[in-house]
Amino acid sequence: MIDLLYVELKRTWIQFIRYPAEVIAGLIITASVFYGLFLSAKYMAGPSFAFGDRLDAVVVGYVLWTLNLYIINDVAINLQSEAQTGTLEQVFLSPFGAPRVFLARAIASLVLRFALISGVVVILMLLSGSRLAFPITLVLPFISLVMAGYGFAFMMGACALVFKRVQQVLGIVQFLLLFLLAAPFEESTGLMQYFRFGLPMIPSSGLLRDLMARNLGLDWVTYGLALLNGLAYLAIGLWIFHWAERMAKKRGSLSGY
Amino acid sequence: MQLAKRPNKHRAVESSPNAIVLTTHDLCKSYGRGKQRFDAVKHVSLTLHQGEVLAFLGPNGAGKTTTIKMIAGLVRPDRGKVTIAGQDPHRHARALRNVGAVLEGNRNLYWRLTPEENLEYFGVLRQVPRKIAHRRGLELLARFDLEEKRNTPVQKLSRGMQQKVAIAVALIHNPQLVLLDEPTLGLDVEAGETVKTLVRQIAQEGRAILLTTHQLNVAEELSDRVAIIRRGRIIAEQPTEALLQEFSDSTYQLKFEGTLSWEQYCKITQLGATVDRAHITYAGAPEHLYTLLGALHPLPLISVHRDRADLTQVFLKLIKDTQDA
Repeated sequence: MIDLLYVELKRTWIQFIRYPAEVIAGLIITASVFYGLFLSAKYMAGPSFAFGDRLDAVVVGYVLWTLNLYIINDVAINLQSEAQTGTLEQVFLSPFGAPRVFLARAIASLVLRFALISGVVVILMLLSGSRLAFPITLVLPFISLVMAGYGFAFMMGACALVFKRVQQVLGIVQFLLLFLLAAPFEESTGLMQYFRFGLPMIPSSGLLRDLMARNLGLDWVTYGLALLNGLAYLAIGLWIFHWAERMAKKRGSLSGY
Repeated sequence: MQLAKRPNKHRAVESSPNAIVLTTHDLCKSYGRGKQRFDAVKHVSLTLHQGEVLAFLGPNGAGKTTTIKMIAGLVRPDRGKVTIAGQDPHRHARALRNVGAVLEGNRNLYWRLTPEENLEYFGVLRQVPRKIAHRRGLELLARFDLEEKRNTPVQKLSRGMQQKVAIAVALIHNPQLVLLDEPTLGLDVEAGETVKTLVRQIAQEGRAILLTTHQLNVAEELSDRVAIIRRGRIIAEQPTEALLQEFSDSTYQLKFEGTLSWEQYCKITQLGATVDRAHITYAGAPEHLYTLLGALHPLPLISVHRDRADLTQVFLKLIKDTQDA
């Protein structure tokens, strides 16, 4: 499995460095879109409005949204592009089994994306004047967030295996994600303060905001629930992906696109 | 349809001392539902031994690719069983360690990666330890005469070289069974010959090869056995040589130098042969061939050969016969 991770990382890196323009363009576009949104919000709120902590929270929300967009599109786009180029069936010929191969791919892809998103964070902080904190405990809710994100990614991948064309669904999911990650559910009251633990990625993104924007410590009980949330969504995602693989093999549509 | 029931006295399956690598038993696959439903593969049973090349032939849409994909575990059969070296790829993914495949089309590789990188990647994907995959990749590149191109991205290689890399990738994990779906399609003459040589070498190493192709001359040259599928059903399965013999008639063509005397001419025509200048066609009993040769004495013989069917003729006849039935 270590070898598989290594070669997936190598493959992802090689494919990236041989055509870096598309990724660098994505980086610039992501930062520019945020700056546009930031300027518009500032204009509408008026010059006297102070963003303060809220600005930092918005930056965290936007960065998480961008990262999760990468993650959630990752498996489905990967599957579609490999079905088009013809390598998908070779991947499914692996004795590791497709879920393990795609999990290794997801981790490899995440390492690269993480490096890129770090670049986006620095650009956003420079553009907006936000000052985010980066305590070491940040890693923990980040892991649970990514697990839930990949759970979703495998569900999208399952849709791509069964329905083939998933661009429309991915488009809708982008806005659903923006709502889930940018809205501060951790400040909610009533039933929602309990219900939010069942929503994908919400407990982890709330913790990240606490740590990075509000300078609060890590609440271990909340983190336990966030980790459960991440594990549950990842397990469900992998299970659905495995089901979709069986379904595609039954229909004989694995390589279709 | 009676051809499918023809008894195969000389089947390699029965006579081969080599171990069985692949068996498919009663494979069935249908697609669609209701009125749209059609049977792509019906009751296909095949056996393939070590070192044997089976040409799996059929017209477009006959069920070849579906069968190959069921063998590779990429399409789940509705009924029947696949066993590769004793394991079912639909139940145990590790059965795929014994399968290498070059599937139809030219995109079995990552085009942005070099041959060396592709070989290492796919080796690990087939559960070969990375260092061994790398070393074996270099050996295969040397063997396939691709050493100079090892660091060139695959997209910059010629179609023939890409196909050689694809075959090398199919061998990186040392599989017992190699599935080759149209391996010579779209290749120029030289590249086609190279691929044919490689296929022969791979079979000589003791691997079983299941080959599909529409180039029947390629199938005739490479295969030990032929299975012909039509509308999802196997209509003939025999050793290639026996099948060709069966469809070859016993007409002999003789060429000689000089002019026949009247006496020679009478003797030869009495045996049932026809004479056209220095060319004799004889379709009588084989034992009288020597009488005919004796009648030609002392004129010099240029050639004597028996008319032999080629696989194209056999294929077309079988397909036509089952169409008429």
